[in-house]
Amino acid sequence: MKKRIIGICLAAVLAAAGLVGCGEAQQAAGEASAPAESGAPTTATGTANYIGEDKMAQEPAEGTDFSNLKIGEIESYVINDGGWCQATHESVVAAMNDLGIPEENLIVLESIGEDQASTEAAADELINAGCNLILGTSTGYASFLSPIAAEHPDVIFAQWGNKTDNLVGYDIRSYEGMFLAGYASELMSQAENTELGFAASMNEFSVRTAINAYALGAKYANPEATVKVASIESWYDPDKESQAAQSLIDAGIKYMGMEASSPAVPETCEANDAFVVGYHNDMSVLAPEAVIVSHTWNFAPIFKNIMIQTAEGTATPDDFYYWGGECSKLTDFAAFVPEDVVAAVTDLKAQMDAGDVDIFAGPLNDNTGNTLVSEGATMADEDIIQQNFFVENVQTTWKAGE
Amino acid sequence: MTTALLISIISTAVIYAVSVLYAAIGEIFSQRAGVMNLGLEGIMLMGAVSGYLVAVYRQNLVLAMIVVIIVGAVLGLVFAFVTVTLQADQTVSGMAMLVFGTGLSGFIGKRVSGVNADLAFQAFDLPGLCHIPIIGPALFHQNILVYIMYIIIPVSLIYIYKTRPGMILRSLGENPAALDSAGYNVYALRYGYVIFGSAMTAVSGAFISLAQTNFWSDGMTSGKGWIAVALVVFAAWNPLIAVFGGLLFGAISIIGIDIQMFFPNIPPQFFAALPYVATIIALIFTTGSFRKRRSAEPAALTIPYDREKR
Repeated sequence: MKKRIIGICLAAVLAAAGLVGCGEAQQAAGEASAPAESGAPTTATGTANYIGEDKMAQEPAEGTDFSNLKIGEIESYVINDGGWCQATHESVVAAMNDLGIPEENLIVLESIGEDQASTEAAADELINAGCNLILGTSTGYASFLSPIAAEHPDVIFAQWGNKTDNLVGYDIRSYEGMFLAGYASELMSQAENTELGFAASMNEFSVRTAINAYALGAKYANPEATVKVASIESWYDPDKESQAAQSLIDAGIKYMGMEASSPAVPETCEANDAFVVGYHNDMSVLAPEAVIVSHTWNFAPIFKNIMIQTAEGTATPDDFYYWGGECSKLTDFAAFVPEDVVAAVTDLKAQMDAGDVDIFAGPLNDNTGNTLVSEGATMADEDIIQQNFFVENVQTTWKAGE
Repeated sequence: MTTALLISIISTAVIYAVSVLYAAIGEIFSQRAGVMNLGLEGIMLMGAVSGYLVAVYRQNLVLAMIVVIIVGAVLGLVFAFVTVTLQADQTVSGMAMLVFGTGLSGFIGKRVSGVNADLAFQAFDLPGLCHIPIIGPALFHQNILVYIMYIIIPVSLIYIYKTRPGMILRSLGENPAALDSAGYNVYALRYGYVIFGSAMTAVSGAFISLAQTNFWSDGMTSGKGWIAVALVVFAAWNPLIAVFGGLLFGAISIIGIDIQMFFPNIPPQFFAALPYVATIIALIFTTGSFRKRRSAEPAALTIPYDREKR
């Protein structure tokens, strides 16, 4: 009997670890894994068909028939998760509405595990239901969808993250929005303190991208600005997220960025009269007095383009999208943000849109003193996507590339 | 380390501990009565979502807690019916409760996911006690559910070890047949304790969605139900040890974030691994030869009581 109880107990601990693991997988889903070594715009077989942002405002050709376009969406979690899945789902719906595609042409499969059995079952179901465009919205699906896509050349598969064979790839230049957010935070913080904080989930390239862009934005406002990172070490853990924010506040920081999944960071900031830039989706709903602005993922322009090309028959599995601009979207600034800050950010955004600001321009060092980009040069897209470094004004116990 | 930081760590550890202690103490009563409920995570989620739903749509915390307790009690009633009356396997039934609670909470919580209730249990100072240095602001600037827990801990200890109903509770899990021959209704008592344990577990869930944080998201308890189950065994079915266990786990899980600010040379992975190290140490101390010397495990735990088999 005792052995049984102990056994059950051990099983419980294991199950707990398993659940935590699942949670991480679900949340990690949104974060994408490191791109292939060769960088995103290339595949194992050669250079992908890079689709530039000049196509962003593309409209369908006269008489394009969308009635036969049936879209399947595979999500790793529920579509109202208040985070990643919600952002992707809302983008799909927005793109469909934009093109006048009726709602019944969309099939959404939620909480599909990022394993071979689940992914194959989901893809089969969608193919059997007549879908001719299937969206894999989490990194984990890529390797399982790739062989299925090869067997079904009549179906276009689009996959978030790095470019995988047989799958249309898409990613967002999220650093653009975070650069503006860091700039705004530093402008607001400057009067009191030049040190900013950042509550960050895991040492992973998409998180590093957010931290670095935030730090570079702050530096653009004030060359002395630094960003102190509190690492959460979990993709989803409201306790630790809250403590990360608390810990930064205890260290005297009042303005921070975040890359975390629950609203715990904004809530902690609100309770302590601190301020934060929301991430993934509009976090001002849950903490209106603390959220300066939120960075959101807007895939709608990319999805719209993929839908048009699929309907017109011009989409190819070699296509790769890496778009910024309105895809890396900031929500409206909160009412408490000073008008001159909003004006300055709007101005900077206009300069970025005009191509006058190069975020990853040299001279740029990492936080261990190595040169990342020398003077006059600029960073290649592959390095920006992989983001295997922390820029010089980031203070963290993490080491890049671990 | 500054005083403010120390206060922040203790205070957060207390919050963490309370978020699992309602469930753990409820489960101690249930297991002392001989019924093991492994579905705590599911019941916790149901408590969290039902409390949040009421908070959003009725803006009333008292009503929210009443609903939470009723939801917990109903789930407890179902579990008791399955395990006590139908004498089903408790492990399997617990798993069923876990899956049921997790799924149903996600389903009924869809409409409030990402919705701001803007209504939570707020921390307030306990007059007098809050002025004690460090301890005051750490322990006595908390919300009402934490203060209630401060009362539940001694009361549950006295109840289990010093009162007649407590003695009956202990025999319920040790030798229900003896109780039966003494004229007690074993079934009714087990029903009562299972329902109580389940209601307490639901309160744990509501604590997470209405006091510790103030939102609902699918699966938000992220494994705390299992921590509570582990805590019961770790604590040898003693509420007081469960309190220390809860504080220990709470402190360990959050302290790493604070310490990285002050000892930037220690890799953060070291702290991320601490809870697992603590679990292994706890298992060593609570199992094997350490355990044999002084075991509090109820002898009749997980064994359905059947009069015919006496």
